[in-house]
Amino acid sequence: MRGVLALLGLVAIPIPAMGQQRRWEHQVQDRLQRAIAAVGTASRLPVVQRSGMLNTDEVASFQTTLTQGTSYAIVGVCDDDCSRLQLTLVKPGGSEIAKERNSESLPALHFTPQATLSYGIRVVMEGCHWNPCWYAVAVIPLGKKAT
Amino acid sequence: MAAVRGWVVAGLVGCLALALAYLPPRGARGSRSSDDGFFIGQSPSGTPARQRAQALADEWRTADGSLDLLTARRRLQLLAQTAIASGRSLVVVSESAGVAAATPPVADSAARLAWQQLGLKETKVSVALIIQRMSVSSRGDRPVPEEQTAAYLAPDSTDRTTCIAVVSVGRWWTRIFTGDLRGRVPFDALVQTLKAGLGPCAFYAAYGTPGKSVRGWLVTRGWDLALTLDAGPRGRYYSSVIEMADPRPRWYWDAVYALPPTAVACLASRPDGCRAAVLAGASDNPAISSPDIMRVDRRWGRIPRLIEGQRFLGDVARAVGRDRFLTFWTSAQPVDTALAAALKRPVGEWTADWERAFVPPIRLGPTPPLGGMAIALAIAALALAIVAGSASRRQVR
Repeated sequence: MRGVLALLGLVAIPIPAMGQQRRWEHQVQDRLQRAIAAVGTASRLPVVQRSGMLNTDEVASFQTTLTQGTSYAIVGVCDDDCSRLQLTLVKPGGSEIAKERNSESLPALHFTPQATLSYGIRVVMEGCHWNPCWYAVAVIPLGKKAT
Repeated sequence: MAAVRGWVVAGLVGCLALALAYLPPRGARGSRSSDDGFFIGQSPSGTPARQRAQALADEWRTADGSLDLLTARRRLQLLAQTAIASGRSLVVVSESAGVAAATPPVADSAARLAWQQLGLKETKVSVALIIQRMSVSSRGDRPVPEEQTAAYLAPDSTDRTTCIAVVSVGRWWTRIFTGDLRGRVPFDALVQTLKAGLGPCAFYAAYGTPGKSVRGWLVTRGWDLALTLDAGPRGRYYSSVIEMADPRPRWYWDAVYALPPTAVACLASRPDGCRAAVLAGASDNPAISSPDIMRVDRRWGRIPRLIEGQRFLGDVARAVGRDRFLTFWTSAQPVDTALAAALKRPVGEWTADWERAFVPPIRLGPTPPLGGMAIALAIAALALAIVAGSASRRQVR
């Protein structure tokens, strides 16, 4: 929760325009790096990052392997024109494990897998005022959970 | 006297019924018109074989245009990425007979000025504008390309952030670009041509990719309501003879009745007609083909669904402001709901007011010819006089 609050504080900081057409792409990359830094990681496992662009109501999915017993924070960011981004963690079978849609443009999920499997992460652009909207997602390993 | 009054009323009702059934609508040409001279104008329709050949040529042009766009998509990808990296949202290239040619500096400057005049700066969707020059030597094995036509490839059919516009500039501009025509280049006219040529791509650049319902609606209609992002002040350019003429000549009414019934009703300032003319093509489950190629015919004399419809959404955007227009543009709601919410008025009423700015409202309904009406009234008066006279003679004193 503290991590999420820290992230919310981060997005309120104005980001200077990049002066290029793809400033939105830079904007989300910059936000994602700050989010990763804010959450922090004590694990040696790499941070998985994905980015792209979506029009309103469009969906993107990707697969990533999550290691048993490791806590993960899954964070999504999007550009200034995006008003609502939804993140869903999906089991290999297709059933939903967790869904975050309340944080508007900064959804975050926390999950500790019981088995090492390839999980799906679904991103839904629920609100974009000026299509397309850029988004980026990071799967951040937080470290082994004490048992 | 009461009996006579009854006959008079019955006669008048009968006349009214006959008038409703037989009187022609205002401005309609009768079976014999005094305006018809010795020579009668007739558009050449061609023999069935020629019509078939023309239809085949049109199909060939469509297929060839699609192929051109899809080839350009690959060719322009690197060029567009380079432009984006250098902070530009507009790429201008030129081609002739499918072969890349050097872009004339005047065309490049005009395109950039057009972009600037449209208020476009940094955009999420960039535009690759291909200025297609007419081939000087026409090949006999393929149809001659049409002038005043344009084709567009939507961003979702490219890299999602580039809209490609292919604008055929015609023989006159081609001769200017190649230096065959000497003299001062009408730069303003070229800027206007390219401004209009950016067409739907200008809307993509300004407002991004529309939501599913708006996009489906526009695709179904061939983007006829969003062809010009900024058409300039009203009354500066005309797209139809109806805007230029007064309603007296018969050909004015011929042009009016060539329009779809909803467009005619809108010219008469009827909100229901305007609403139907604007919302035609809107559906709950629109189908969008892939690749999404938009073809636009800008030739003079084409029959629009709505007079000045090509600037409708541009005018809506200016009237409601960018934020409200973007809310409409990306809305998931049905088009009529989203548009009415943006306009804060019923669509039909707003459109009727908007249309009045271009054409004074016409009067519709049956109209008797002046001569026929005079004769009919004279006959009616004579009949009444005879009836009244014979009735008074039969009266028993």
